[in-house]
Amino acid sequence: MGIVFTRLFSSLFGNKEARILVLGLDNAGKTTILYRLQMGEVVSTIPTIGFNVETVQYNNIKFQVWDLGGQTSIRPYWRCYFPNTQAIIYVVDSSDTDRLVVAKEEFHAILEEEELKGAVVLLFANKQDLPGALDDAAITESLELHKIKNRQWAIFKTSAIKGEGLFEGLDWLSNTLKAGGG
Amino acid sequence: MFSLFYGLWKYMFSKMEFHVLILGIDKAGKTTLLEKVKSQYSNLEGLPPDRIVPTVGLNIGRVEVSNTKLVFWDLGGQAGLRSIWEKYYEEAHAVIYVIDASCPSRFEDSKSALEKVLRHEDLQGAPLLILANKQDLEDAVSVDELAQYLEFMKLDERVYTFQAVSAFDGLGIKESVNWLVDAMERSKRTDMLRLRAGPGVV
Repeated sequence: MGIVFTRLFSSLFGNKEARILVLGLDNAGKTTILYRLQMGEVVSTIPTIGFNVETVQYNNIKFQVWDLGGQTSIRPYWRCYFPNTQAIIYVVDSSDTDRLVVAKEEFHAILEEEELKGAVVLLFANKQDLPGALDDAAITESLELHKIKNRQWAIFKTSAIKGEGLFEGLDWLSNTLKAGGG
Repeated sequence: MFSLFYGLWKYMFSKMEFHVLILGIDKAGKTTLLEKVKSQYSNLEGLPPDRIVPTVGLNIGRVEVSNTKLVFWDLGGQAGLRSIWEKYYEEAHAVIYVIDASCPSRFEDSKSALEKVLRHEDLQGAPLLILANKQDLEDAVSVDELAQYLEFMKLDERVYTFQAVSAFDGLGIKESVNWLVDAMERSKRTDMLRLRAGPGVV
């Protein structure tokens, strides 16, 4: 009974919850982004083995953000976290042009996953503060984002270090999730 | 055997699905239009215009109109993002081209982007609906003036029309969608796309 009221209450007052996965190759900046969003500051990070999870409250949505380690050897474990995910934030190191092909392959493999069919996709073209970083149009091109035809996606230029672009991305995410996107 | 009949049944009676591209330069009102269409044709609430941010990617809207399913692809219109438009041409049944009728200083940009769209061979035979948007604003030019500016004489082989709309208050949206559905149902391109998809995949 209590649960019914809680549900009713939260649906009336709009505190939606969303489960978000932050994915991307190692050293893309996933953990820095997570803590920038959660605490608003830059923390020094070490490569994530396993995951970090934090709740970020933004625009009436409670984002449960899962940051999963991105090293090759632990990427196969990403799929354990796929069920019930509403959105994916895919982080790309825009200055790491050598590995864009790998980033593209991993990204499209994720999109193939049955359990992520309904998830909307937000891309962060991260590390825009570094010289030689490709812009959003170039990342769109190299990740072949146009192949996505049955779900909503958006790309934002971000710098986790400077705190740029991240909340614009979350704005898009909250709008899209509220509109029932996917 | 059963699956054969089922396939035939599905082929004959399932609803047609049409893909409609919404194109136009930035600030034309493409996403506002999409949200308006969504709120008029489905019970989903569209985003209010003041919450809409520039699109940097793809927005999708699915609605049903009479007996057809429409899938709208709304793509970002900023100059750097226009290069991905053409990746969607091959599968599109029709194109909506949105122009901000209240902003003559950008008509030239709008026109050249449209010319480029129409030159692309992947869009051959696709019906074209050109919208003179933002009619709710006082200084918006009329649909005739806009048509004159675009000089559409060269277009005589393509099925096209102009329509005055306001994505903000909904003026002209129903007429536009009706024209679009009708044009796509008659279009040779629709047959061509259906043949390519093969029976069963309608």
